[in-house]
This record gives sequence, structure tokens and C-alpha cells, in this order.
Amino acid sequence: MSLGCTYGQTYELLINVIDTNNVPVSGANVEVSGVPSYFLTDSMGSIRLTELSSKSYEIVIQREGYEQSIRKVSIPGDNVITVVLPFKSRWLKEVIVMNDHLRTSRQEEPLNMDVVNRDFIRRNLGGSLMSTLSRLPGIKTIGIGSGQSKPLIRGLGFNRVVVVDKGVKHQGQEWGADHGLEIDQFAAGEVELIKGAASFLYGSDAIGGVINVKPPTVPEINTLGGSIDILGKTNNTQYGSSVNLYGRKERMFFDGRLTYQSYGDYRVPTDTVYVYDYAVPLDRNHLRNTAGRETDIHFNTGYLSDHFRSLIYFSNVHSHSGFFANAHGLEPRRVDAKMHDRSARDILMPSQKVNHFKVINKTGYETGGHSIEMELGFQRNFRQEYSPYVSHGYMPALYPDSMTIPENLERQFDKRVYSVNLRDQIAVDRHSLTLGINSEYQNNTISGWTFLVPAFKQTSAGIFVYDKFKLNERILMHGALRYDYGRMAMSEYVDWFPSELSDGATTSSKHAVRADNLKRTFHSMVWSLGLNYNRGNFSLKSNIGKSFRMPIAKELGANGVNYHYFSYERGDPSLSPEQSYQLDLGLAWTIEKLSVQLSPFYNYFPNYIYLNPTAQHDTNYGAGNQIFQYAQSRVVRYGGELNVKFSPLKTLNAELLGEYLYAEQLSGDKKGYTLPFSPPTSVLFNLTWMPNTGERVTNSYVSVDYRITGKQDNIVPPEKKTPGYQIFNIQAGTKLNFYGQPISVSIQGQNLFNTRYMNHTSFYRLIELPEMGRNIVLSIKVPFKITNQK
Amino acid sequence: MKTQLIGLLLFSVIVLAGCKKENQQEIDTEYPVIDIGAVNAFPKQCDTVHRGDKFTFIAELKDNAELGSVSIDIHHNFDHHTHSTEVANCGLNPIKTPLKPFTLIRSYDIAAGLKTYSLQQEITIPADIDTGDYHFMIRLTDKEGWQTIKGLSIKII
Repeated sequence: MSLGCTYGQTYELLINVIDTNNVPVSGANVEVSGVPSYFLTDSMGSIRLTELSSKSYEIVIQREGYEQSIRKVSIPGDNVITVVLPFKSRWLKEVIVMNDHLRTSRQEEPLNMDVVNRDFIRRNLGGSLMSTLSRLPGIKTIGIGSGQSKPLIRGLGFNRVVVVDKGVKHQGQEWGADHGLEIDQFAAGEVELIKGAASFLYGSDAIGGVINVKPPTVPEINTLGGSIDILGKTNNTQYGSSVNLYGRKERMFFDGRLTYQSYGDYRVPTDTVYVYDYAVPLDRNHLRNTAGRETDIHFNTGYLSDHFRSLIYFSNVHSHSGFFANAHGLEPRRVDAKMHDRSARDILMPSQKVNHFKVINKTGYETGGHSIEMELGFQRNFRQEYSPYVSHGYMPALYPDSMTIPENLERQFDKRVYSVNLRDQIAVDRHSLTLGINSEYQNNTISGWTFLVPAFKQTSAGIFVYDKFKLNERILMHGALRYDYGRMAMSEYVDWFPSELSDGATTSSKHAVRADNLKRTFHSMVWSLGLNYNRGNFSLKSNIGKSFRMPIAKELGANGVNYHYFSYERGDPSLSPEQSYQLDLGLAWTIEKLSVQLSPFYNYFPNYIYLNPTAQHDTNYGAGNQIFQYAQSRVVRYGGELNVKFSPLKTLNAELLGEYLYAEQLSGDKKGYTLPFSPPTSVLFNLTWMPNTGERVTNSYVSVDYRITGKQDNIVPPEKKTPGYQIFNIQAGTKLNFYGQPISVSIQGQNLFNTRYMNHTSFYRLIELPEMGRNIVLSIKVPFKITNQK
Repeated sequence: MKTQLIGLLLFSVIVLAGCKKENQQEIDTEYPVIDIGAVNAFPKQCDTVHRGDKFTFIAELKDNAELGSVSIDIHHNFDHHTHSTEVANCGLNPIKTPLKPFTLIRSYDIAAGLKTYSLQQEITIPADIDTGDYHFMIRLTDKEGWQTIKGLSIKII
């Protein structure tokens, strides 16, 4: 306010954007005639424009899922305007209708949520979707080399985070630290990240959070067009491209995409790494055999009408990537360095090939106050892990000719999942009631010459009711109740080679029975209660709820040696479903040029399931390895994220993103210890300059990220303490108007000063491999339109 | 201004919470130690043992709090598939096909409450096994589950 006055000639304008239900619309794009930058409304749906001159402006406001609104204002006459954005007519409601039953605006969400769009993904493009998203506070990854990673939300990962892709739960082999998430980041539309327990909506596994990857929006009527994305990275000499073609008449549309990426071994800021005390020289800083390829195909089509729509999504994501060759897991490997160093792009063993196929149908129907949606899904996750045969433990010295499993196929997991979701959203008076059913059937088979997890079949079903009640303009209340049923049937597994098994008195040579036929059923009742309060520039959300997770087959039935980790992992068939109670708060203030958001949480598990490294070794089933026993203990976790944004000028933004997490086991063998993969405290300082670059060159930005990550001394066996580090990243980009099409160009400098550091939550942390050195990323998107709306 | 103050206050609370754990009971984060450099330790990196003979495996083990258990694994390295955890390179015999390689897997308990332990175990190598390059793996845990691994290269002649 005062700033506007001091310059005398300039004025301010406050714009409040709301929808037809009086709910603030955040993230709406605001363009002002004659001003080359664009602005986004904040979480309160507001944006303050400064340094306006005394004249008339045309203001264009748009947000996906809403009709565009154009307003004329005359300065200084207008200083506060309220703009109502109507929802788009049903068949154009794109993301909102197609993708999320409960999506309105963030103010109405009971849980802390971040939403990122394609622009964010392009600006911060990392090696995989999750590494791109890890810039957000509370979101971390378990990185596996340069092209694969898996999500960690507030320190919980693996099967404690649900990834929803196009409305259906993505199912891979989430339990493995070296298994990345099989999602093509070019094909993602919006990504919604829920930090906090959300089992009441998403069922088992949503105990740590949810990553909801939405498909791209449906093309507009009478269009035919597409885009070409080109990507290059210097560190691992990566190149890639993603080509998209879409078209729509009135009611039918198609949207196809082809993505290919190829990357070489990535480079680290050191020429020698140490596998234990054994020095391993690196060839020109390349981490031997960490190259990979990814080929993804997507095809979406569907029919849309006023009250009915049905969409089908096909996708196939295929990746082939190598593991660092000098250590397989923790096991030192002697390698033929010459053979490996001949090319930095070849993929030799050890390596993994993963193919994820999906077909999903989403159908919606609306009638008198009801909005009914159904998702039918089939997916197949086929994972193969290759390693030359090495006789470990009692395995025969030579791989027998009689084996039908290929000699290099160490493990294979084949998962087929059939899903059906059904829900009805009913608007009655001030209530918005959702009733829903989720069900899923999984068939898992295994192969390969080592054994970790038995084959199994799993059926699960959940039924829920969720009510959102608008008490008044300021207070919104939530309540949910859900019941789940799960059934698991594991299959017997017998070793293909004899071991020397001892019963204490006698030792005999026998084929070890590692898994029995075992059936378990699980029941669970969870609930959630929340309250949102919005008043002026302050908003509060609070939520308390119970979540659960069904034990996975590995936790119940593991009985194999992970030779590369010198661990004998033993499941416990009597484990009960994991339960979690969580209290979440979200506080936001927006004053003038400053906005502050704080999201603390407190979480208690009466029976957290964890893999406990014991003091014992087992010479029978464990071939002399340390026993890692699945067990349950009481766990408390708390922490939060802080987000402070300061915009002193309309062309300048400063941001601080902080995160803190504490976890402690309160009972059991590891009482007093934290949980594995606990991310250290970190703070990210960002400064973004968005200069006015004229009308043909818009949305220009130059941005610096300075991340300080603390040390992590709070560890649990078999982790290692990780020192803190400081990293600089820069991002810059612009949109060039070329024949009416905005060509996006963005460039990033990651780890600008080639800092040598280790990431506590990286898969390679235990063998002390440093993270990727300096990496320059160039990404260009060229959209094109063949025909436009007539 | 008020907001900044509140923000600052809350952030200090977070920072303070981060320090709180310092006051709590110390958890053990130290790995146990296998002292392969000890004078009487046997075998050492690059040592040789004879088939048809006995030898005494001696390891000096220690931990800051309490030892857990120890296991050994002797297996062939005729295919040069792995290297030891140690610096010294012992020179490998040419790659050969195993016919009757020696495999020995044993674990030994350590009495409760010990911080140091001198493990002495007699090991017999059968007379009819393949000679050549072997690995002698020692795995030691402490009570808390920290594990230390030593992979020594030895030769059986």
C-alpha cells in the first residue's frame, strides 16, 4: 500500500478471484494488458498488482477448469475488484471432472496439499518425475542413479505412499529401494501431492501421503495439434524427446504421446570411490554402468457429452537401466573395467528392465444432483533384474544346465492388477457427500535364481463415505468413514538347490522350504475429521484421522537372503495391519507482499512394521547372514514444512522452503532409534526475477535455488551418518511467440559448483557414492496447431 | 510485521525441536570392529592355508557397547567375481572352473555383555577340495544390529 503511494505516479490493484460457490480460486493466471509477465493468484485467490499507471487496463483471468474472465479496470478508479470464475460447462471441465471427484480448491481440502502443473515440471525437470517434485518441501526421493527414483513424503516411502495415475492406484514393486516409479513425467498433467495420511479416500498404503498424477487435459473442441519436447543434459549426456499429437471434434478426442530418453553413465565430482577400503578408480568420473533408456507410449481417447463421458487411457512405460558395477548392493564386485569403460552408454550387468502396461477406463455420468464416476483398470508390472550367476551360500558352484530360468535372471516379478472404483458425489443443501467403493485383485508371480518374496494373490475392497459440510462462509467441516477388507494368499516356494540344514543335532542336505501356502485376511476401519477456517487473509485447516496399511507379502512371507546386502530377511506371518493416527495443521497468512504457510503434523503408529537388523546370524536359511526380522513397534513422528514468500516487486520473488522431521521408535528392539530413510532438515532459499521482456518474449524468469541440507546423525542400522551440504541450482527460461505459438525454452544448472556430497536417502548412500556433479539441463517445447477452433 | 514475528517464532520452535534430541538418551550408532591387523589375527589378507590341514581362525572383536554374534563364510573366487574389502591386492590365479570348491558357513555366538572378544575356532579344510583363490568373509554384529564385514582374500594350496 505504502509502496504504491511513494512513487506518486503508480497505483495498486487488488484482485480477488472466487468461483461460483464463493470459494477462492488459487493459481489462477492473471494477465494485464501491456504487462508482459503473468501473475498467479495466491492460496487465498488474491493477487496484488503494483506499479500500475493511471489508465485503463484489460485483465484476463484464467484457470484450468474454469471459464476465462476478462475485466476492464480503470486506474486509479478501481483499487479492489472481485472476479467470479464460472466452472466450465460439463464437457469442457477437463481436469476437474475427469480426474478428481473431490477436487475443488485447496482451501476446501482437509489435508495439506501441493499442486504442480506442467510448467513447474518443465522448469525443474529432473531425471525422473519424483526427482523433479523433490524441490517441494516435505517431498524427497530415494534416488537410484540418474534416471530412477521413488517418492518419500515426510520421510515415509515404499508402500506407505500411494501413487494414483489417472484415477487408479499405480502398483509396482514399491518395496524395493532400487525400484523406481514407472511414470513418464512428460505425460503427467497436473500432479497433486497430499502430505499426510489419506487412507479414508485412498485405502491401504496412503498412510504417508498420496501422489496423484493426472492425465493431460482433454483437448478443446475442433482442434488438431501437438507439441514436441526436446531435452538434453550434460552430466550423463542424456537426450530425449516427447512428441504429442491430439485432436478433437465435438464429442470424440484422441491424445497420443511417444517419449524416448537415453542417458549415459552419470558423473560424480571424484575420480575414485571406495568400496569398503578397496579403491575403485572411475573412468573420467563416470559411475560405471549407470546408463539407461526409457521408451514410453501413451494413447488416450474418449467420448464426451453433456452428462456422460467415457475416456480410455493406454500407456506402456519401459525402462532398462544399469546399476553401479563395482558393488552390487553392498557386495564388492570385481569388474572388467576395460569392457565397462569402452562406452559410457552401454548397459551391462547388473541391470534391471521394467515394463509397466496400463489400460484405464474412466466413465462419468451426471444426473440430478448426482455425479457418478467409475474407473476400470488393468495394469501389468513386469520387472526383471539381471546379474551374472554367482554362487552364494550353498548354491552350486556352477549354474546347472537343467535350470529353465536363464542364468543371468536373478529376480523376476510379474504383477497383474485389476481395479474397479466407483463413487457417487451427491450435493444436498450445504453438504457434499461422496460414497465410494474401491476394489482390486492382484496376481503376483516370481522367477529368477534367488528368492526374496513368494508369489501371491491379493484381493482388497474398501467402502467409504465422505461428507463435506459448509457451515458458513468461513467454516467448512469434513468427516469420513471407511471400511476395508483384504485377503492375501501366498504360495509355497522351495529352493532349487540343497542347503546344509541343521536341526541342532544333525545336519542334512535338503531343499529349503522358504514359503508355505499361507492365507491371511485383514479388516480395518478408519476415519477422518477436519475443519477449514478461512477469514480474511488468514486460513487454518486442521485434520485428525486414522489410517492403515495391510502388510505386504514381503513383510509376511519373506524368507530369503538378499546376498547383496548380507541380510537374511525374515517375514512374520502374524503381523497385524499397520495403523496410524495423524494430526495435521495448515496455517496460512497473506499480508501485502508477504505470505507465510506453516504445516506441522504429529503422527503416532501403535504398530509400525519395520525390518529390524538383529544381532544374530542364521546358518540354515540365511547362509550365515545377519537376520533382518520384520517386527512391529510404536513409533512417533512429527515435523512440518514452512513456506515464506515475499514479493517486494512484481518482477521479484523471494521464497523460503523449510522442512523438518523427527521420528522415533518407542518400543521394540530399536527403541530410541529413528526410522530408516529419515530425510535431514533442509531449507531452500529462492530468488526469482521475472523481467518484462516485451510482448513476443513472455514469462521470462531467472531463478536461483540455494539449498542447505543439514547433517543426519539420527540413524538406525544399517544406515550411516551423512554430513550436511549446500547446493546451488539455477533456472532460467522464457516463452517465445512464434507464429502465435509459445515456444518454451528452459535451462537449468543443477549442482552448479560441482559439489561433492552424499544424499542420506539415496540408494547408493550405503556404499558412499557421491551424488551427481554439475548438470546443465536444456529443455525446449514447441507446440503446434494444425487446425484451430472454427 | 506480526506475521513475520509469528513465522520467526514458529521457525525457532522447529529449530529448537531439532536440538531436543541431543538431551535424550544416547543411541548407539557405532559399528563393531574386526581387528584384522591384530598381531595374532589369522588368517590375514593374502594368507595361505593348506587343504587337508587344520588351522585356527583367530579374530579380535570389539564394540563400544556390546558384541552380538559373528559368522564366517569361506567360498571360492575362481571366477574373480568379487574382490576383498581390503587395500592389498594378493595377485589372483588364472580363472578356472570349480570342480569341488570348498564352502564353509558357520556362525558363533558371543556371550552377552562383552565389549571385546577373542574368537578362536579350529577349522578343518578337507583334503579333496579345489585349491586356489578363496574369500574368507567375517561378519560381526553388535547387540544393536550394526554389522561390520571383512572380506579377506586367501589361498588354499
